[in-house]
Amino acid sequence: MDGEGGSTPIITARSLGKMYGPHMALEDVNLEIPPGAVGVLGPNGAGKSTLFKCLLGLITTTSGEGTVLGYDIRTEGDKIRSRIGYMPEYDALDPGLSAIDQVRYAGELVGMNPAHATRRAHEVLQYVGLKDQRYRKIETYSTGMKQAAKLACALVHDPDVLICDEPTNGLDQKAREFMLQTLRRTVSEGNRSVLMSSHVMDDVQEVCERIVMIHKGRIVVQRRIEDLARQIEREIEISVWGGASRMQQELETRGFKVRRLGRVLRVDRVDDGTTRKVLEAAVSADVQVRQMKEYEPDLEDIFLLIMERLGAEVRGTSDLMTTAHTGGDRDE
Amino acid sequence: MSDDGIDIEGHKTRMEVAYGAGDGDDEAKAVVASNDAELGSIFEQSYRPWDGELGPRWVRNYAIFRHHVYGLFRGTGHRHYHPMVRLTIFVILLFSLLPVLMLFLASLSSDGFMTDFFSRMWGINRHNLWGQVLGYFPRNLCCWPLLTALVVGGMISDDRKNGTSAIYFSRPVTRLDYTAMKYLSVAVVLGFIIVLSYFVYYTSAIVFNGEGWAYLVDTLPMFVSGLVAGILVVITYTSIGLALSSISRSRFFAAIAFLSVIYGTKLLALLIETQFDTSILYVLSPYDCLAHVGQWLLGIDSNYDHPIAFSIVSVLAINAACVALLTARVSSLEVTRE
Repeated sequence: MDGEGGSTPIITARSLGKMYGPHMALEDVNLEIPPGAVGVLGPNGAGKSTLFKCLLGLITTTSGEGTVLGYDIRTEGDKIRSRIGYMPEYDALDPGLSAIDQVRYAGELVGMNPAHATRRAHEVLQYVGLKDQRYRKIETYSTGMKQAAKLACALVHDPDVLICDEPTNGLDQKAREFMLQTLRRTVSEGNRSVLMSSHVMDDVQEVCERIVMIHKGRIVVQRRIEDLARQIEREIEISVWGGASRMQQELETRGFKVRRLGRVLRVDRVDDGTTRKVLEAAVSADVQVRQMKEYEPDLEDIFLLIMERLGAEVRGTSDLMTTAHTGGDRDE
Repeated sequence: MSDDGIDIEGHKTRMEVAYGAGDGDDEAKAVVASNDAELGSIFEQSYRPWDGELGPRWVRNYAIFRHHVYGLFRGTGHRHYHPMVRLTIFVILLFSLLPVLMLFLASLSSDGFMTDFFSRMWGINRHNLWGQVLGYFPRNLCCWPLLTALVVGGMISDDRKNGTSAIYFSRPVTRLDYTAMKYLSVAVVLGFIIVLSYFVYYTSAIVFNGEGWAYLVDTLPMFVSGLVAGILVVITYTSIGLALSSISRSRFFAAIAFLSVIYGTKLLALLIETQFDTSILYVLSPYDCLAHVGQWLLGIDSNYDHPIAFSIVSVLAINAACVALLTARVSSLEVTRE
């Protein structure tokens, strides 16, 4: 079976459902994920964690079927978990162990012999940037180093698919960039697939070329980010100097729907003549246009638009974050 | 170091500026090493694939077992046991081998009275074999419960506290394997102290006294009965200890709760016996049930009035309840969130 783009899908699901008592956690999930980097998005409680557990073969599904790397998620969970690396969202490290011992033990738990696991632990700890700190106890690590150690644990047996649950949780800018770069490199250089959930759209956009969006246990979108961005109406962004209200009025008079934030205005790009009409409006309103450009919608816009269409009250992805995502520095 | 890159204004070094013989009116300043340090690349990140073979189920299970048992003997690389815990366990091991020392001393003595005394006190007989695994304060009421408390504390609760259950269950480790290997690890450590010391005690008596096959044939049934009693102690204490470890996030809770269960039930039964002259409440005390069964196995007079069947059922029930609790709690260990 070939998925989109001609490559064999690494993950498939047909009418997958999971109920916890009367609560429907996943409903009629149909998935076909090709190799590469895929972002799994959705508000808290949407069913992302349940989907991961189903894909790892850890919980029995109520209905439907699915495969990961060709293995049945209902009966071949152990084979799936042998070929998948899972990086949990929360702390999953023994603080009393050094990173090298922790990663080696993670390798041994997959079935690597101790000598191979030790050698490989050195390699992956260098890969995730912990080469010089690998003999330090994990209890002395910063949040960023712990995240890197978790990634090393997930990569130790060179899995075909890496599942990362909020990999940039609580990281500062520098550590976040390194983590994203490492994930990108794992896909591009290591030729591995990454399934990544995050509330930070920028992170997903930086690493992934596709997204799967879950809402109330259902898959609402699974497309390439590029394709989704193309579907969103193009806008022209205009920065004016003085007379922004006059400009807004003039544009509305000429039939444009205007969205304004201070002296930045956005109008729908109707056709090739829109730019000319905007400049004419500026002349009429007697305002200086300092900058005019075609606005490229990002993943945040796509996410908010989809949420809006689904009727979810989400003003921004920051609404979905908790202190755990922000490293505890966000005022609630 | 060459002078290239070091620009000393006025041909003075920093030392000369500080301690020089100038008149103090000249511009006394020195600039040392004006060149910027060269920034190099810290490391080159590159993904290296691994094409080795993964071992079967027993390799994974053995890794869990080794991680928990080797930690007692090695300072790093495996599960971390506090040095004081390791020291205490070592002292308990030495204490449990004390009768071996006494047997050795007895074998050295040529005094008939002393030999007889040592033989009665520490020689091989039904009472002493029972005492080695189940009796005689403080071994019965201090050493074995303390040993169990030290070993089981944190065995499962640490995984719940640190989220390390995800390390196991996101890999091809089943909950059955996880529970079985943790159980086996604790049982082997307890067995190493309790059963091995019993075995050493018995064999050293034969060696030191130069006993022959006839003695061995005579005492072997007693030894096997005591061995069964010792294994029952190991199994029951492991079940209770791990069940308590699985219901908490604190390693201290498991340890303290285990000691409380052992001492609390015994104390309660003792008070009831003192007041109402009945030993029936000893069926609630895991230690007393095991002691009663051990007395029955070794064929010595029972300290308890109630029938042996009550104690056997109680031991079975305690084990069944603890294993049920343990499996239920291990089932609740999460991978994605705890």
